[in-house]
Amino acid sequence: MSDQQPTFRFSTSATIKHAVLILGALIVLLPFYVMVSYSLKSPAEIMQNTGGFFGAQIPFRDDYCVKLGNAIADCMVTPWIYNYTTAFEKAPLVRYLLNGVIVTVSIFFIQVIIALPCAYALAKLKFWGRETVFALVLFCLLIPVHAIALPLYIMLAKLGLTNTYAALIVPWTISVFGIFLMRQFFMTVPDDLIDAARMDGMGEYSIIWNVMLPTAIPALMAFAIFSVVAHWNDYFWPRIVITGNRELFTPPLGLREFKGDADGDNFGPMMATAVIIVTPLLAAFALAQRRFIEGITLSGMK
Amino acid sequence: MSNIRLNTITKKFGTTDVLKGVDLDIDDKEFVTLVGPSGCGKSTLLRILAGLEQPDEGQVIIDGKNVTSMRPADRNLSMVFQSYALYPHLTIRQNMMTPLKLRDLSTSQRLPLIGPFLARKEYKELFSQVDRTAKILKITELLDRKPGQLSGGQRQRAALGRAMVRNPLAFLMDEPLSNLDAALRVHMRAELTQLHQRLGATFVYVTHDQAEALTMSDRMAVMMHGKILQYGSPEDIYQNPANVEVAKFIGSPAINILSASVNDYAQICIQNLILDLFAPTQEPNITIGARPEHLTFCDDNPTALTGFVQHIENLGADLYYHVKIKDEQRPLIVRSAAGNGKRHQIDDLVHVKFDLNSTLAFAADGTRLQTHRKLMDELAS
Amino acid sequence: MSKSRAHIWFVSPALFLMFVILLLPILVAFGISFTSFSLGNSGAEFVGWKNYEQIFTRSTYEKMFGATFRYVLTVVPLTVALGLGAALLINSLTRFGDLYKTIYFLPVMSALIAMAIVWEFAFHPTIGIINSTLERGCGTFLENWGWYAQGCEKTFPLWLTNRDYAIWTVSFIGVWQGFGFNMVLYLAGLTGIPKELYAAAEMDGAKSGWERFRLITWPMLGPTTVFVVTISFIRSFQVFDMVEAFYPQGGGPSKSVYVMMFAIYEKGIQQNLMGVGAAITVVFLLFVMFLTVMQRWLVERRTHYV
Repeated sequence: MSDQQPTFRFSTSATIKHAVLILGALIVLLPFYVMVSYSLKSPAEIMQNTGGFFGAQIPFRDDYCVKLGNAIADCMVTPWIYNYTTAFEKAPLVRYLLNGVIVTVSIFFIQVIIALPCAYALAKLKFWGRETVFALVLFCLLIPVHAIALPLYIMLAKLGLTNTYAALIVPWTISVFGIFLMRQFFMTVPDDLIDAARMDGMGEYSIIWNVMLPTAIPALMAFAIFSVVAHWNDYFWPRIVITGNRELFTPPLGLREFKGDADGDNFGPMMATAVIIVTPLLAAFALAQRRFIEGITLSGMK
Repeated sequence: MSNIRLNTITKKFGTTDVLKGVDLDIDDKEFVTLVGPSGCGKSTLLRILAGLEQPDEGQVIIDGKNVTSMRPADRNLSMVFQSYALYPHLTIRQNMMTPLKLRDLSTSQRLPLIGPFLARKEYKELFSQVDRTAKILKITELLDRKPGQLSGGQRQRAALGRAMVRNPLAFLMDEPLSNLDAALRVHMRAELTQLHQRLGATFVYVTHDQAEALTMSDRMAVMMHGKILQYGSPEDIYQNPANVEVAKFIGSPAINILSASVNDYAQICIQNLILDLFAPTQEPNITIGARPEHLTFCDDNPTALTGFVQHIENLGADLYYHVKIKDEQRPLIVRSAAGNGKRHQIDDLVHVKFDLNSTLAFAADGTRLQTHRKLMDELAS
Repeated sequence: MSKSRAHIWFVSPALFLMFVILLLPILVAFGISFTSFSLGNSGAEFVGWKNYEQIFTRSTYEKMFGATFRYVLTVVPLTVALGLGAALLINSLTRFGDLYKTIYFLPVMSALIAMAIVWEFAFHPTIGIINSTLERGCGTFLENWGWYAQGCEKTFPLWLTNRDYAIWTVSFIGVWQGFGFNMVLYLAGLTGIPKELYAAAEMDGAKSGWERFRLITWPMLGPTTVFVVTISFIRSFQVFDMVEAFYPQGGGPSKSVYVMMFAIYEKGIQQNLMGVGAAITVVFLLFVMFLTVMQRWLVERRTHYV
């Protein structure tokens, strides 16, 4: 009766499906494989395409170190250690990562502080002009901020704000998507709950932060994911407003800079940098996979 | 001494008149029910009393003080909502603490972590208040759970607890039982009535369920189309409805309404049947109402209506016969105790007699007509 | 609470920022697109429609539209189809669905600039993993395929620097990056289809999977599809990171990958020709808004049954 046990049943169609999906997965994973593999290998292994996934990890001579007048024996380095230490030494990668954190976190917090009250008012308060404001939000939803980068850049340049944190943050402080998403979510919160809070003696402002915010955590998570992913990975906007001042580089800019002056020796460290930049979000994703996909889904359902 | 007065309250939403000049007096410690079909404005009236809605005109007076423009939190009323409106992210204890904290503690004392430390004594007092209330409602073991982990009935109690914990001037309840299943609803009716007696507080209760209104209230106000049609004790409203709408709304199964006429001698006639009942009116066309328990089966006689049994509802103790009368659209519903005499079958020919002392008459515009067993002339002489 | 003024404090910051950050720039772009404005130069002349004329007549911009549409019209159908395909396959599996979902979603989360650089390595003609893998297939049955034989004989294509391949290679990376996102949206759409519908279809005689797909899945996914297509269009119109990483100057071999966002960047930022850049911006905005209005219209007109 073994063929009645579903767990061990062989099914042709399921096998074909798995085959297709595995093939797709291999293609999807290819660049990740290349990235991690190169970040572990020595320059010679990269150039000759040898060494398998991990590389042989045979110490090689760091020419730059020799040039500095050190003894050759002191300059022998293990490839993966060399790649990752160089990633941090060659460029102020820690600084870039810190900038990335500062920018994404500030953007998210300001977006929430601006969007939440507005979403609450649009969802739950009756006032003259509410429909107009909401129509405006819907219209602004059509405008991709990247598309209007040029006039924004001109405006920031006129204000003398290019090459500042403000330039990286200010254009993203208003998230109409956030307003829309939170408004839709707040619409589902029962009016009774808000009335109960009013009866309990809460003011409107404290209702937002003490009643609406805690109930809206799932929607807020969704929005956080969107916001953080978009701005941690954003390359276009920092590329435009940060010119030259490395102190303000975000991780993608740092990586790009690395590429600009990469010669053969630096492929390994460059891949190590890429790994370091990509990993935080992927790690967060691995930890909270369900939340992430839920979040994307929730935000997708306009 | 809390005495609540609503003075000529009007309210419009857009162009629809929701309340058209409503007056209501509620005595101290009274259980008053606002009952009416959905959309009659009863909830809006309650929300105006609570301060959640502003009336367009009229005043809300509590204890002789005009509170019309006062914020809800300052009126010291508490409210139980239909959906219970418990804060989903807080435990039941925290839910019950919230109104106390907001009322009795200063901003600094409310700070998380530091607050309880600064005001240990006050917090202790609040905790014991919560515990006392929880004990009364028998929800002590639920205090550390969150609303999502409770059943409907438990949530209902928790919501009551949040309302009770701070000794308000009056309890406002907006259809608090309508989300419960039927058995629990009946049980909670009794419990709420007992709670009302025990607390000795004023209750203002909104419901669309006439049974709740009849069983629980000291006085009930029947509302329709933004007006109070009648305000009085349940007995009075059941037996003496002010008009046909009230009569139809209160009572289940609904009152039987028949079209009738008044002849030159002021006698009420149904079809070709002349009742021994007089109505002082000039209008020839009226309606009469007779509740199912005021109709009885009898032998064929000139004061009885004749028809066929169309359907029988067996409720165990009582049987409700649906009797099809010729030329009447709706069947007459006749109540008969189950153990009472002969059981009729479907399609049986039956004769139905009115209890003339309880039969109601209404003018064409729906207002109640006084009826007499004797002709006016005879009364006068 | 008709008396409360709270809403003013809640709404006005957002309103102010919407005007300054989103609406004002559109007006600015519109205004500048009729001038020869450039940063640092005080005088800007009014040039009328000249900038727009350039966009629609010069061959550079012809290439820009060509590259953009080639990219968009490749990436959108493929990301939508692959997203739907992956979602359907994963949805029909009892096991490992979560694993595939996670894997396919990885590219969406990864910084595209980083992954573009990695792809550049993978496509590298000498040390890249792609061509070296292809070379390994030489001498096998694959050589029966003319294109493959040619590759073995001479060299396999310079994927990113050959004029005939560059835009398609970039499009491939775009598809690689984007279809996981659509897959997740489709998976969400699929969970919204009641199971009883499939049972009913089976009772009604829809025996094959394809029939059930035609009868239920596809129509029920209508709203999702409209949304997925629109968002894919808007996202792919904004392609920039890869192009700038691969071709910092000039937009690829004979400008074959000169997409609109890159054109805006090159004209406006690199060459400080703000007028032309602004004109491209305006054209770009018109495209995007047209698409979104189309979506709204479609949603309202066609997909009411959910």
